[in-house]
Amino acid sequence: MNRTMVILFRNPLSLLGLLLVTLVVVLAVFADFIAPFPEHRGAVVDFVYFNKAPTARNIMGTDLVGRDLFSRIIYAYRISLILGVVVLAIAVPIGVIVGLFAGYLGGKSEFVLMRLTDVFLSIPPLVLAIAMMGVLEPTLLNAMLAVTAMWWPWYARLVYNVARSEREEGYVLAAEVIGASKYHIVFREILPNCLPAIITKMTLDMGFVIIIASSLSFLGLGVQPPTPDLGSMVAEGARYLPDSWWLTVFPGLAILIAVFGFNLIGDALREILGAEQ
Amino acid sequence: MSANRPGSGEDTGSVKNGSMERNSSGALLDIRDLHLGFRGYTGYTKVLHGISLSINRGQRVALVGESGSGKSVTARIVLGLLQETRTARITGDVEFQGNDMSSLNASQRRALRGTRMSMIFQDPTSALNPVFTIGYQFTEVLRRVDEKLSKEAAYLRAAELLHTVSIPDPARVLDAYSFQLSGGMNQRIIIAMALANSPSLLIADEPGTALDVTVQAQTLQLMHDMVATHNTAVLFISHNLGVVREFADRVYVIYRGRIVEEGATQSVFESPGHAYTRALMAAVPRVTGGGIPDIDDESADFHDPCFTHDSPIAGTES
Amino acid sequence: MSAILSLKGLNKVFGRGRSAVHAVKDVSLDVAQGECLAIVGESGSGKTTLANMILGVIPASSGSIELNGVALPHKRTLEHRRAIQLVQQNPLSSLNPKRSVGASVRLGLDVYEIGDRADREGKVEAVLSDVGLDPELRKRSPAALSGGQRQRVAIARALACDSRLIVLDEPTSALDVLVQARVLRLLDTLRREKGLTYLFITHDLSVVRNIADRVAVFNAGSLVEFADTETLFNSPQQDYTRQLISAVPVLSAEELNFRSALQSREHKE
Repeated sequence: MNRTMVILFRNPLSLLGLLLVTLVVVLAVFADFIAPFPEHRGAVVDFVYFNKAPTARNIMGTDLVGRDLFSRIIYAYRISLILGVVVLAIAVPIGVIVGLFAGYLGGKSEFVLMRLTDVFLSIPPLVLAIAMMGVLEPTLLNAMLAVTAMWWPWYARLVYNVARSEREEGYVLAAEVIGASKYHIVFREILPNCLPAIITKMTLDMGFVIIIASSLSFLGLGVQPPTPDLGSMVAEGARYLPDSWWLTVFPGLAILIAVFGFNLIGDALREILGAEQ
Repeated sequence: MSANRPGSGEDTGSVKNGSMERNSSGALLDIRDLHLGFRGYTGYTKVLHGISLSINRGQRVALVGESGSGKSVTARIVLGLLQETRTARITGDVEFQGNDMSSLNASQRRALRGTRMSMIFQDPTSALNPVFTIGYQFTEVLRRVDEKLSKEAAYLRAAELLHTVSIPDPARVLDAYSFQLSGGMNQRIIIAMALANSPSLLIADEPGTALDVTVQAQTLQLMHDMVATHNTAVLFISHNLGVVREFADRVYVIYRGRIVEEGATQSVFESPGHAYTRALMAAVPRVTGGGIPDIDDESADFHDPCFTHDSPIAGTES
Repeated sequence: MSAILSLKGLNKVFGRGRSAVHAVKDVSLDVAQGECLAIVGESGSGKTTLANMILGVIPASSGSIELNGVALPHKRTLEHRRAIQLVQQNPLSSLNPKRSVGASVRLGLDVYEIGDRADREGKVEAVLSDVGLDPELRKRSPAALSGGQRQRVAIARALACDSRLIVLDEPTSALDVLVQARVLRLLDTLRREKGLTYLFITHDLSVVRNIADRVAVFNAGSLVEFADTETLFNSPQQDYTRQLISAVPVLSAEELNFRSALQSREHKE
């Protein structure tokens, strides 16, 4: 714990990361209390205040139908975080299990599991997601599914590599000689040694999932209106640049802050947990 | 001695600046009151508490101790490697050929390594780069001293040097990669490379510990003969008392960052003066039998002051 | 003395066809109940492969391994596994850094389902004190322990299930000389007190001289010489054995005399 604190406080960037991520999480969790116009997350129209530059009333301006941008960004954060958490909550266990068994068992299981992983990895992620969204209806749930499908192979790869080197460690031989089951060896012996790498990657990935989800909605394939989403906000606003600059700049900055924050934290965690890669 | 060997040693030093010259003891390497500590996450850890050690030209000196005693960091300070570590705090004097090492900058220290000072580490196979041929690596070493040396000439010289370490087919070995050769063969190559530029000091950190006993015995004998031919002094770092006895002229025993005993090899081994040295020697199982040694846990007299067998070596060279 | 373990015509071939490596060649030997049998050889001698076959980690290519007169199948039951335990060379790697000392020692008890939870905890504490460690250390991580302490934990793990046969694979080579002496003494005491049988795999002949009852010398996969310790050291029959013995670095005048006597005999023959 002591060492953690020293690393965190010695590096101002880690501290900044912690600050940014805390800010994003607090905004998302307490959106209902923080947002000045909570009802603006939905299909509200206010033609008195439409397309206004930032003022004291709307600190980030208003959009084309008069909704408060700041409120919408806060709710968009909430959607992004939920998306990120759900995607990782599904993708990580799948990838980790595939990687652990492929890495520990070797032989045929390794061949089958890792070639399957390679197939997924060989398709460009955004293309895979776009293809899936083309077939499926563009809803939040399907967006999650699409992103999950392209995310788990990276965890399979990562865990596979760690597990393969851990397999050579003496403690695995010790457990085999004693006669412990494969499940014990994989989940109780090897998995704990993969956790630092997994946790670090998950933190970094929160940022990337947010970007990918935004990219999808930027293309109109992700979260659908009127649900606020950072990607679609940027896409919509881009048509009105440079006059209505706030429509793109603030959602864009919001993406930047979240992704940057998660990346900084990921880097700090990498050092704290002493993870490779 | 240097007068007999023109072109080597102190006279041709490219690092020497007139102002740095301060040859007080006449020793090749003179370490005085060396302290080392590391700043860590939980504070400052002292590793060396005032090491003094001196090596004359052509002398084989062993630094013996257990893991964590500070023997390897001492070697790394002499090599000028630890000075570049930001968390390390080093005080005390390290003089090499009369030059104060602390007054050299990183590139001057680098210029010393592989030319006038060279090193051999524990595992010969990992010390060679697997993606280059032995020939390529060897000629690189030779060209560090003589940049104008042609490729062909360097290659011939390398083959000649490999021949001196009893490698029967140097041409084949020079075209090979380290992983195609045995550990013993790699160790011979390392020895030939380390001595290629006739350095005045060789630092051998647990050489050959990763090798089999029979191979280790052969390569140690080879190293012994080779340093004698090149008149190279050796700082020999080891935990193995038997190996030290067979290799070194002079022994320093190090315990937790302090020298606890020093003297000529024979006197140290025949009449160890310090409790720690006695414990170390008693702990080695004998090939003649006699049962498993009965060793107490560490005792207070391990911290007794240093036991010196003779007067410091200044002036003993003649 | 009855044989606790018998190897009969044991072979191991890795790979096939032209690239096949014959790692263990037709090895037959008996390990007597209660003895310390040293398996000596350099790297590539096949001693680790032999150990792995005995431990049931890799299958033998041919031949059989008998435990108390009964041939062991390659697919070992837990009962078979429980009978033979292992202590490895490097305690840094043999203890899982992410599990507590107690969890590592308790593994066998959990796997063989010996006693209830409280029994197992009690057993862990007992064997930790048997190997000279504070039972409170069971809550610590291996990272908090010194090399010697870790090796004691590994020994405790091998003892926890009251197994009689222990394969010791270079158990002291990674340790400092003072620690080595204490761990060797511990191993020797435990063997006498608990009536254990050791298969002591090592390259260090000075250790062998002082702990083994009998010595089997391996070279390139074959058993080249097998004799009781005194006989082997005082009148080795094979040149290879003589070479191994005289390569041991020595300390005392007595040892130097011993070595030159050995070498002079070699030259005479």
